[in-house]
Amino acid sequence: MPKNLTHIFIVESDFTYTEAELVQGLKARNQRVFSYLYDHYSPALYGVALKILNDENAAGDTLQEVFLKIWRNIDRYNEEKGRLFTWMLNIARNTAIDMLRSKSHRLEQKIQDVGDDVHLYTGHLTVYQSTDHLGLSKVLEKLNKEQRIIIDLAYYKGCTQEEIATILNIPLGTVKTRTRLAMIRLRNLLKAL
Amino acid sequence: MDVQRYISSGIIESYVVGLVSEQEAREVESAIAEYPEIREAVEACRQDMERYVELYAVSPPKDIRSRILDAIENESSPEGEELLPEELREPGEAAADRPARPAFKLTPLRVWQIVALLAVAGMLISILFNNRYAGQLEAQQVEYASLQANQAALKEEYQAAMAKLDDVTGELNVLKDPDIKWTRLYGTGKHAGQLATVGWNPESKEVYLRALSLPEPGPGQQYQLWALYRGKPVDAGVFEMGKQQHALQKMKPVTAVQVFIITLEKKGGSATPALDQLFVAGRP
Repeated sequence: MPKNLTHIFIVESDFTYTEAELVQGLKARNQRVFSYLYDHYSPALYGVALKILNDENAAGDTLQEVFLKIWRNIDRYNEEKGRLFTWMLNIARNTAIDMLRSKSHRLEQKIQDVGDDVHLYTGHLTVYQSTDHLGLSKVLEKLNKEQRIIIDLAYYKGCTQEEIATILNIPLGTVKTRTRLAMIRLRNLLKAL
Repeated sequence: MDVQRYISSGIIESYVVGLVSEQEAREVESAIAEYPEIREAVEACRQDMERYVELYAVSPPKDIRSRILDAIENESSPEGEELLPEELREPGEAAADRPARPAFKLTPLRVWQIVALLAVAGMLISILFNNRYAGQLEAQQVEYASLQANQAALKEEYQAAMAKLDDVTGELNVLKDPDIKWTRLYGTGKHAGQLATVGWNPESKEVYLRALSLPEPGPGQQYQLWALYRGKPVDAGVFEMGKQQHALQKMKPVTAVQVFIITLEKKGGSATPALDQLFVAGRP
């Protein structure tokens, strides 16, 4: 690679906005800031939509809607309540789950979807080319089935505590403490990555 | 509020993964505003969840980028407006055309309207209090769930301790049995200093072993106990090392013995002892 090209590459990848600058830029309707936002966050948001909907076309439509909502509703973002990424993820999750519910809200379907994901790190990932298969399969391998079901059905399928209790055949009153244990396990696995 | 108990109840994690009802979510949000420790715990949990979510990141198809950028570039034109999802479009002229408010006048009808309004306000206040009590009930349910989880954990610990006690009692009975003759097996040659003990009951023929100081065998290898009688070795079985090293292990029964020896064999044991792999020996 010629010297100057390396240089350009480094300069480009080094260029970052802080969250405050992003929010300010979006509020000022700065389209360059918006493209930056898209380039940096679309894989994570698309990943959420894809995992929730299990359908590339629907996930693409959702992603478009999500970014237009971010552009239109940036004034509703309140940094007191959390980081920008948290806010954007919530929009993505809610939009995709709304779309999922309009398609089907059968519990069996949700379980079926998550069940399919058991083979995610063999088949699915090569199709969708997740940006971090290695880390993902490491984490998935080490979470036990109950922990994966709690985190994935709750976050990605919008299941209620009652539904989780039914699926896992555990008392409703223990869902919260088990969720805590699952998240603690996840934290330790992420630390080890 | 007991902040530590609240944090360990699991409500925060449930909130972050989206498992709580709208009312619970509002409660968590007000707890976040009030207690910095809770805010910190929620933020830490969110960051874990976000890192997990990022593992599922996938690059979207290329054409979506230009579709979105076109839409925002033309958003102020009618064509751009068409590109937006319905709920995001401008409300249009309708809102601006609303009639101006008429001047305020205290008529008898107006008085009744105010009375009705006050009644509604009273009802709302009452609903507010109901909600607060419902909130307390919820907190007690959280506490109950965490107590329940604690109790389950204690029960598991208790059962494990009971199982351990059973093992120890069994071992103790063997050790106390006056019919069992105990023999120390000492290391020979380069294995000097190694020690194992073998207990043998000449009546019932039962044999017990404690591996004590034998070194951990390599993979694919296992120690085997032999009973030599009139120059002939009789297999008394292989035994486990590792966690079992200091436990009492029951071996195959032996009818007659002059010398006990332990050799290192392939995993699962051999038909005849490899005498060059003799570790310890002892005469009962």
